[in-house]
Amino acid sequence: MEFKKTATAEATELSLSGRLEFTDHDALRDIIGIVEQSGGKRFVLNLADLAFIDSAGLGMLLILQEEVESHGGALAVRGAAGDVKRSIDLARIGEIITIED
Amino acid sequence: MAIPPLSLADCRVLIVDDNEFNRKSLSLVIRRAGITGIAFAENGQEGLAAVDRFRPDLVLLDVDMPVMNGLDMCRALRRTATHEALPVLFQTALDSDDEQVRCFEAGGNDFISKPIRPGECVARVRHQLERRKLFGDLAAFRERVQRELSHARAMQISLLPESRRLAEVAQRYGLTLDSHFQTSSELGGDFWGIYPLGDRRLAVLMIDFAGHGITAAINTFRLHTLIDRFPMQHVTPSQWLMQLNAALKDVLPTGQFATAFFGILDLATDTLTFAAAGSPNPVLGTPAAGGGARIRLLDSAGLVLGVSHRATYADQSHRLPRGGFLFLYSDALIECPGEQAGPIGQDAVPDLVREALAGDRQHPLRPMMEHFYARSRLPLGDDLTAVWIARRA
Repeated sequence: MEFKKTATAEATELSLSGRLEFTDHDALRDIIGIVEQSGGKRFVLNLADLAFIDSAGLGMLLILQEEVESHGGALAVRGAAGDVKRSIDLARIGEIITIED
Repeated sequence: MAIPPLSLADCRVLIVDDNEFNRKSLSLVIRRAGITGIAFAENGQEGLAAVDRFRPDLVLLDVDMPVMNGLDMCRALRRTATHEALPVLFQTALDSDDEQVRCFEAGGNDFISKPIRPGECVARVRHQLERRKLFGDLAAFRERVQRELSHARAMQISLLPESRRLAEVAQRYGLTLDSHFQTSSELGGDFWGIYPLGDRRLAVLMIDFAGHGITAAINTFRLHTLIDRFPMQHVTPSQWLMQLNAALKDVLPTGQFATAFFGILDLATDTLTFAAAGSPNPVLGTPAAGGGARIRLLDSAGLVLGVSHRATYADQSHRLPRGGFLFLYSDALIECPGEQAGPIGQDAVPDLVREALAGDRQHPLRPMMEHFYARSRLPLGDDLTAVWIARRA
């Protein structure tokens, strides 16, 4: 998985691309670092370019949700499509994390 | 992990040189550095014999010697598996580029200059010995982890239904029961079980913890102790999943969770009632007119277990008469990429089942697994569990 960061005064947005899976734990640490820097701002994960997410990847979304909230921010996931959307819907992650279309 | 400093006193060095003065001065230098285990040989042939007898940690080797020279001795060492990694330091004049190249080509690790400079000599010897110790420690550590992983794997497999018990259950309830379990990296996060609930009902559970490896495997042991705490007899599948969810939420850290399928098959009413938490879509087959089967994917969406105390689950009921079947599997079946093609994918599972049934009507799991392993990139990136439960016609 690779990601690109865009930051505005109100929000930090990360665009994820490739595959988010078990082997991406180092990337998760990097993203948590960005969450810590961005403080209590809105944090958006854009998954439009993400091709695949496995159960470990879904777990990372849950970890990021907790990290963002512990810094007083709010997480939103946006743009999930295809297999990624299907995985998120199957696991009903929308009951825990705000999913925007 | 702290690495204890190397003690040179524990190291053994073999000096191979035909010149007595050189042997003496080299041994003097390294003895002064603390090395006491020193042996000598006067040519390559004696050197090889001394290596086998003395088992040195390092060889200081002269190049030009009678009978067998240092280059030939080094080549001979490198051809022997047990001495492949034994550090060899050649004594050579440092200004001879050609000779140094020949020494490296023969398998030497480094040089010490001739005439001997004590400081440099000890530094190079120490460096090679430290390197050897580090490699040895790593190899020992790796071996220990491998051994422990394979013990843990045997323990994990013992959590799953034994084939003898499966045969008993199949006999008692008039079923065909076939299962397959394969972990990706020694240990996995998959678990399944089948539980008789009196004469006409039985429950089936399949769980997949996120990720794989040691963490996921420890979670399957946690799960195994939790299952016994919640009787299945007098609750609906959704109520049972809610109990399990609450217990898992209490023990799992954020980011760890499990997908689940829990169903109760009632043979008297031909009904399968189940609740699911984000497991891959189970396949239900019912006998159709003309001897075929009506095959469809069941909805298994649900908040994964261990994430929220507020999670609720819903029961679904489907007819599962004699001649019908239920096929459960973990996500590896549909997510593992093929050698030539992409993963099988959720939508292709009904066709996969149809082809498997065409291959073996009674035991379709066998041709299905053969097909899967023939197309998949190995080793698998995730754990694979597959369970075929059919009611005999």
